[in-house]
Amino acid sequence: MKRRPVKLIVSLILMIIVSCNEPETVVTNYIHTDGSVTRKLEMKSIEGDVNKRFKISDIQVPFDNTWAVKDTIRLDQKGDTTWIKTAIKQFKNIDELNLTYKSDSGANKNISRQAGFTKRFKWFNTEFRFSEKIDKELSFGYPVKNFLNNEELIYFYSPEDLKNTKESGPDSLKYKTLRDSVKNKTDKWTEKNLVSEWIGEFSKLTAGKTGNDMTRESLRAREDEFVKITEKNGNKLDSLWKNGILLKEFIGEANALKYKVEADSALSIVTKDLFIDFSDYSVRIVMPGKLIGTNGFIDSSHVLLWPVKSDFFMAEPYEMWAESKIPNRWAWIVSGLFLVFVLSGVIIKIIKKD
Amino acid sequence: MKPESENFDKVLNLLRKSEPILYSTESIEKEVIKRVTKINRSGIKFSEVIDFLFSWVYVGWVRRSFIAASIVLVLVFVYQQGVILKRIDVLGRQTVVSNKESTLSPADELEKLLTVYKNSGRLFPSKTITISERQMKELLESVKELQIKYKDLEKLIEEDPGLKKNIEKKLIENNRTKINL
Repeated sequence: MKRRPVKLIVSLILMIIVSCNEPETVVTNYIHTDGSVTRKLEMKSIEGDVNKRFKISDIQVPFDNTWAVKDTIRLDQKGDTTWIKTAIKQFKNIDELNLTYKSDSGANKNISRQAGFTKRFKWFNTEFRFSEKIDKELSFGYPVKNFLNNEELIYFYSPEDLKNTKESGPDSLKYKTLRDSVKNKTDKWTEKNLVSEWIGEFSKLTAGKTGNDMTRESLRAREDEFVKITEKNGNKLDSLWKNGILLKEFIGEANALKYKVEADSALSIVTKDLFIDFSDYSVRIVMPGKLIGTNGFIDSSHVLLWPVKSDFFMAEPYEMWAESKIPNRWAWIVSGLFLVFVLSGVIIKIIKKD
Repeated sequence: MKPESENFDKVLNLLRKSEPILYSTESIEKEVIKRVTKINRSGIKFSEVIDFLFSWVYVGWVRRSFIAASIVLVLVFVYQQGVILKRIDVLGRQTVVSNKESTLSPADELEKLLTVYKNSGRLFPSKTITISERQMKELLESVKELQIKYKDLEKLIEEDPGLKKNIEKKLIENNRTKINL
């Protein structure tokens, strides 16, 4: 549920308050031609305590008592109980939906999210575009596409269920190798982001200070060297940082002594941005008319699906979008009649000329 | 009275003698015939309607503009449809996931599908059926009622071993598949 920890700040990870009451949530947006949105939340919880179950502060998306709610209970063969809460609300337009994001008090309230809707008249068709965008967390991070190839990227953004199906299917070996490759590369990506972000924040904090000979460019030029040092020291990173040994290796003894406070502050900012408290969920979109484009996954009932994980918007904004079209029948008829009219005129002209 | 009548005759004779000089008698003749035939005509002729509708073909710039507009329309149509078909083709190759991942709803799949139908409007244009909200509610209620009745029946049979045995016996007699109650 939380972003994968990196060895350097294991101690900081432990400080993150992990809530076990977060329900498994699927958000479905039914988009209408007038720009209104019917939003459906399906939340599943195994929490037995009624006071802890489906608390607004634990829910991943905006939710309050204005939603139409339906509760169901499911008992499996082992006798385990699962509580399912289904909530539906109609939003007049995108602005109303975005207002709920701004006033969100749920589990992901600190994340900047916004929805968008556009309707374009293109004579023969009217095209619709709906998107949900999550802003990136890091200011100096690298996009994950710089580290993964196309196949790995698809795997990286895939829903967990799809990954599990592939890993236990006929090509299991191939997908397990792919999984390991993605894991190794994303570990490197996280380490690179950590270093890059620290350099960025540290440069900002030390910029303009008298006697400072370190510029962001000079530090960035040594970025790969810093990454190698963090990789080499593995589990000792935390203690090496606390003792100031790592900082001395990074920026030299004199600078390490001079800018220790700034270095610690920069690390504090980076860890806050990098290891955010985020609760995963899934987004589904049902578009009006015929679907013509999306960056999501399509399920067997032609509904689009995106998993939402903190890794996806670490270094670049994560946008879930879909486009559809509805043909304008009247435009087709008008155009057809006009073509017949012009063609007849041309034929008449040719006949009369003869 | 007499001199008045004489004067009138004189004037008339004078007018008769002084005939007007006509320079284009043919055109006047044509115009007279045209006007006479126009008065005698009862309705509008089809050929005239056609002539009126397509009078623009004799005006060069209008004709050229209409032809240009037609070509633009055809090109726009071909381009738009081409782009859409290409995009749909790309979509066809996009990864499909199972429904299991995408929803958490329990057994009431029918309700989910109907909700999707209700909310998405023209989601499935090729198979569009139109039912009212009232009809849909009735259908949902019927399904729910049926599910409740089925569960009650199942419970009733389960609680009564004699009844269970009798039903199983009846089912075997009727050559039906034996169900495990």
